[in-house]
Amino acid sequence: MQYRQVAVIGGKGSGPSQFATSLRGIALDFAGNIYAANDSHITLFDAGGRLKRRWSTSQPVHSVAVAGSGAIYTGQIRQIEIFDDAGKLVHTWRDEALLGRVTSIGFVNGDVLAGDATGRAIRRLDCTGKFRNNIGRDNPLNGLLIPNGVVDFGVDAHGVIHAANPGKHRVERYAPTGELLGHIGHFHGTDPAGFGGCCNPTNVAIRDRLYVTEKAGPRAKVHSFSGELEAVIASDVFEANCKNMSIAVDRRGRVYVADTVQLAIFVFEPVAL
Amino acid sequence: MNEHFTRRDLMHNAARGVVLATLGGGAGFLVRKANGQVVWQVDSARCLNSRLGEVGVAACSLCTTECVVSLSAVRAVNEHSRCGRCNICPAYFKITSAVDERGLPSEKLCPRDAITRKPIGKADPEDPANNFYDYLIDEEKCDGCGKCAMQCKEPLGLGSIVLKIRYNRCVDCNRCAISRACPKDALVRIPVTRALT
Repeated sequence: MQYRQVAVIGGKGSGPSQFATSLRGIALDFAGNIYAANDSHITLFDAGGRLKRRWSTSQPVHSVAVAGSGAIYTGQIRQIEIFDDAGKLVHTWRDEALLGRVTSIGFVNGDVLAGDATGRAIRRLDCTGKFRNNIGRDNPLNGLLIPNGVVDFGVDAHGVIHAANPGKHRVERYAPTGELLGHIGHFHGTDPAGFGGCCNPTNVAIRDRLYVTEKAGPRAKVHSFSGELEAVIASDVFEANCKNMSIAVDRRGRVYVADTVQLAIFVFEPVAL
Repeated sequence: MNEHFTRRDLMHNAARGVVLATLGGGAGFLVRKANGQVVWQVDSARCLNSRLGEVGVAACSLCTTECVVSLSAVRAVNEHSRCGRCNICPAYFKITSAVDERGLPSEKLCPRDAITRKPIGKADPEDPANNFYDYLIDEEKCDGCGKCAMQCKEPLGLGSIVLKIRYNRCVDCNRCAISRACPKDALVRIPVTRALT
């Protein structure tokens, strides 16, 4: 499988569709609209990359996710802010202990999952924000090892949570109850089939396969659920210093990667061979 | 107490002793130089081996080759509070070397084998990936070549290893030989009071 770059969205700058200082998270909704968590804003683009709307969050935003209902969840320091599809704030869940720094958000069986980089765990909350259980906290010994400072995960169609454990060079599978089901991945410093450097992969997205990004050198890859490398989507286009590149995949198989230094969303699509 | 623990304790105490002796010697030097004087130090924000943005370049070893002191007065220092305690530390392992049967790189990075590692906290003897590791630099072996600092810095590592002048070794030349050679002007004069803190 091969990919080609088809678009670049955003970029560094002060324009209405640009990002000033940070681009930490991206998410897609069912219609293919693209949500960027940048600076203290959520910036919404349509599927063609045209700016639709931008609204402010109360703090710098670290992650974004769109629920099936259309509600937009934004991860911040010690809180999650929830907006309706018009960008109006509808709820704020604050928790000093469990939501230290929310670097990823997902949904499973009606519950909300929050990746807390401070606590090195995924917090499972019910639909009102009440804590249910931790995921990845102590599995099997020291839990999620994230020297890169980000907890990231995706949820597959069966409700299995695939969490990056970069210090172990693995993607671990968890049940929503927190049980460790298994893992894929291994370290390799030169073979792209492995995960290189001190701590990779940093970010994960799930669709029909497992999509990951790595840092130093930055690249995006596709693996099967059993761990085999299927493609290196891209590497050279990303700025060499960027890390923790958020990744998302749409229903057509288009892959969106956030370059955290160039502050741009690179879009790739599979090429039929 | 079993023998394994006794040896570990002995090594730990020996390492602690070396660090204390180094700090003590350096502090004595600084106290003698007090009264508003300045001393040389490496500015890690300028040093090629630790400054952000310099990726894909070879480590600079001028601190090793230019210092007038035998084996140099510069040492790599691991600021443990910033260390990620990684299983595969790019400053410890040559991460592009072949992978061994344990899944680890088969070669070490340091040409003088000055870095040691040991698991800390809850440790899994069966799977090295499950563990946190402590990385200690033996300053008797280190010559400040900067290779580990270059590999440790962001985005590959966390930048916890930087080069520092050790004042128990520095002879405080008026015009530091390293400063004359440094391409980044990273050797700077700082007040003794700052060096003491």
